[in-house]
Amino acid sequence: MATYQLTVNGVNKSVDVEADTPLLWVLRDSLDMVGTKYGCGIGECGACTVHLDGKAQRSCQMSIGKLGAAKVTTIEGLAKDGKLTALQQAWCDHDVPQCGYCQGGQLMSATALLAAKPKPTDKEIDAAMSGNICRCATYTRIRGAIHAAAEAK
Amino acid sequence: MNAVLEPPPRREIDRRSFLKLGALASGGLLIGTYLEFGMPQAEAAAGGFGGGGAPPNPNAYIRITPDGKVALMAPNSEMGQGAKTALPMIIAEELDVPWASVTVYQADLNAAFGSQAAVGSGSTPGNYTRLRQAGAMGRAMLITAAAQQWGVPESECRTNQGVILHAASGKKATYGELATAAAALPTPAAGSYTLKDAKNFKLLGTRVPGVDNAKIVTGTPLFGIDQKLPGMLYANFVRCPVNGGKAVSANLDEVKKLPGVRDAFILDGIAGLNSGVAIVTDSTWHAFSAAGKLQVQWDEGASASLSSDSFEKQADAIGNANASVGIQDNWQVLQATYRYPLLAHATMEPQNCTALYKDGKMEMWCPTQMPSAGQRLVTAGLGMQASDVTVHVTRVGGGFGRRGSNEFSLEVAAIAQKFEGTPIKLTWLREQDFHQDNYRSCGWHYFTAGHDSSVPGKILALGDNFIKKGGPGNMSTGMFPFNVIPGAKVNSSTIPGDFPLGYWRAPGDNGDCWAVQSFVDEMAHAVGRDPLDYRLDLLATAPAAPAAGAGARGGRGGGGMPAARMIPVIKLAGEKAGWGKTKFARGRGQGIAISYTNNACVAIIAEVTVTQAGVLHVDRMVAAVDAGLIVNLSSAENQVQGSMIDGLGAAWFLKVTVDKGRVQEDNFDVYPLMRISDAPTVVEAHFISSPLDPTGLGEPALPPSAPAVCNAIFAATGKRIRTLPIKDEDLKWS
Repeated sequence: MATYQLTVNGVNKSVDVEADTPLLWVLRDSLDMVGTKYGCGIGECGACTVHLDGKAQRSCQMSIGKLGAAKVTTIEGLAKDGKLTALQQAWCDHDVPQCGYCQGGQLMSATALLAAKPKPTDKEIDAAMSGNICRCATYTRIRGAIHAAAEAK
Repeated sequence: MNAVLEPPPRREIDRRSFLKLGALASGGLLIGTYLEFGMPQAEAAAGGFGGGGAPPNPNAYIRITPDGKVALMAPNSEMGQGAKTALPMIIAEELDVPWASVTVYQADLNAAFGSQAAVGSGSTPGNYTRLRQAGAMGRAMLITAAAQQWGVPESECRTNQGVILHAASGKKATYGELATAAAALPTPAAGSYTLKDAKNFKLLGTRVPGVDNAKIVTGTPLFGIDQKLPGMLYANFVRCPVNGGKAVSANLDEVKKLPGVRDAFILDGIAGLNSGVAIVTDSTWHAFSAAGKLQVQWDEGASASLSSDSFEKQADAIGNANASVGIQDNWQVLQATYRYPLLAHATMEPQNCTALYKDGKMEMWCPTQMPSAGQRLVTAGLGMQASDVTVHVTRVGGGFGRRGSNEFSLEVAAIAQKFEGTPIKLTWLREQDFHQDNYRSCGWHYFTAGHDSSVPGKILALGDNFIKKGGPGNMSTGMFPFNVIPGAKVNSSTIPGDFPLGYWRAPGDNGDCWAVQSFVDEMAHAVGRDPLDYRLDLLATAPAAPAAGAGARGGRGGGGMPAARMIPVIKLAGEKAGWGKTKFARGRGQGIAISYTNNACVAIIAEVTVTQAGVLHVDRMVAAVDAGLIVNLSSAENQVQGSMIDGLGAAWFLKVTVDKGRVQEDNFDVYPLMRISDAPTVVEAHFISSPLDPTGLGEPALPPSAPAVCNAIFAATGKRIRTLPIKDEDLKWS
């Protein structure tokens, strides 16, 4: 057990955990930020996607001991002052979620995509989003919502 | 008069106080109904609330505060099928309130709601009339209150979106202003209020986004796995990798010394509980880490000899012993064997549950499709009374039939009982979720058909020797197309050996529709008919569908495919997909399949490209659906699109394999759920404008998806897919 400092959504946090604890479980159990979801634990499903210094990463694959100074952004940190981002709004308007469990991770990947490619093609969307599984298969609406958010920007 | 009520609770975690307020409030309108609840039969048969007998709960569904805010209860679990939005919409329609004034709460397990099972696409059809009545009763009580205050006849009062008006006097009042008076009135008797004519619906049939969307996109706690209670500890429960195996001993002393571990102990001898080792810790990661270091000596039991290979051999032994189906010597014979594998549910949210045991009472937070079944497991296993087991229903991160069984409830309750006063959250590892499933059975269809060139265009004899490992769903001659080929023969058998099987989205139909609709395609081609026209012709000769009994549902467990509904559905699909309009080059093609599951008629036309190297791409899928009245168009479309892709993904990529009684697949790297990059480019859902009550849409569009694609692959390449998954088949052509 050791004390680690990290910055989550712009706020400095301190946690006492084992060095091998994945960021996923630091967020969920230590910091009570449960929007980042456990899906597979092996980096295959994308439900645990967060941004480390703006890049989409699997938080189940990043131990707290190796996080270093990387700034963490989670699904809880996308909306600013209660105002949804264009993507979050598009997700609501297009009524994308079914069960909703994977959608936080989907949004983190989509947010990183639009930051890199403001007007992605279907192919670019598929490439950027193929790390995020949706068991309910809401893929048709995910594509639609990303296009809509890209247009809204 | 008590004019001011506390505001409705804002946070999901405050659901309990909703009921408390409801029970205590004297100033709000609190009404409810209790009616006999025909579906879901599964729960009724299991002794749930569906059979009637519970007293009405007037506080169950509706609460209106003087400021005009309306709180509505969603009685059945939300697992992605849209019940938490659709069910309150039905109340709001009849109550005649603006949807913007409504806040929805998920109901706890409570007999006042009748059956709360979310299975068999049954939440909407099972609740439809009941919720309309609840809404209409509320509206009637508000009208009575207005008429009494104004001294005018009730018949002269009308409502409009939360307001009551009396035209002659110009009097007008909001529901909020009348709620206190209305709440003091008796609940209207049957016959003293009327339901709307469906033609006048304002809300039902429109597109209403899910009520939890804003919480989902901001990561707000909603799901079972998100629950956190003060002082909570975490747990994992390690079961034998072979179903039914027992824990004999384990390195418990070693595990107890690991970081964050509070206790580790064997749980055995509890009725309904699979033997295993409980590990209780300070965090989920501690529990997972400790589970990885746990070494258990198992008594694996009889199931350790089971394997997929042995299932295959047993099926062939039965299947190849085909009985005569009445084919004459000079006829041509068409024979084919279709094989589909075991499947896991693989809900994105792994199984989990939270429980607090205190003063002889168990309080639970369950992501479940069938809260009453979880409660029964706990009461039976731990010798408790139902009144001492409170079940809060959380949002469910995917159901697909997995969470009809509730073993996680009993596991966590048994652990919590040993930690009196401390809440325990149990979370399964993904690997455990794969290894401890109630799998979709594997199945085999040995089809035989006969035709004769002297009777062109017709199949004259048909037989299906159907074998499955077990689980729900037999074949019968009442099913299409066996019901339209005179003398058709169907035999159903199961393979012995204890292996856990269960309900998987569209039970039975999810595999059998693929086999049957693929073979119907073979039949059409064998007799030189267009596959769409051939289905229409077969249906035109169909006997009237046997009436489903009271409360029974058409499809697998009820009446046969109704030709009068299915024919327009096929025609609509053909029109929307442009069936037969395009002359496709080799490597491209269209395929059609139809199904009748849970009272809904669905036709799907798929359009595919298969490269010469054998790479499949699904270009377009078009569904036409008759699911009765559409409650929420947005959700209905989402369900149909998702079901199509889910059915395709399972058939294309997924297979569970058993060896030495152990399931081999343990995570998404080897059980590759469909990804967006393989999802069809265009996915369309078209609905028939139907006069019927809603039939439910969580499942019906799944079964015909895979056969439509496989039939399109045949059209494109001449290759017939008779074994799933598709990815293991060679699609190369030259």
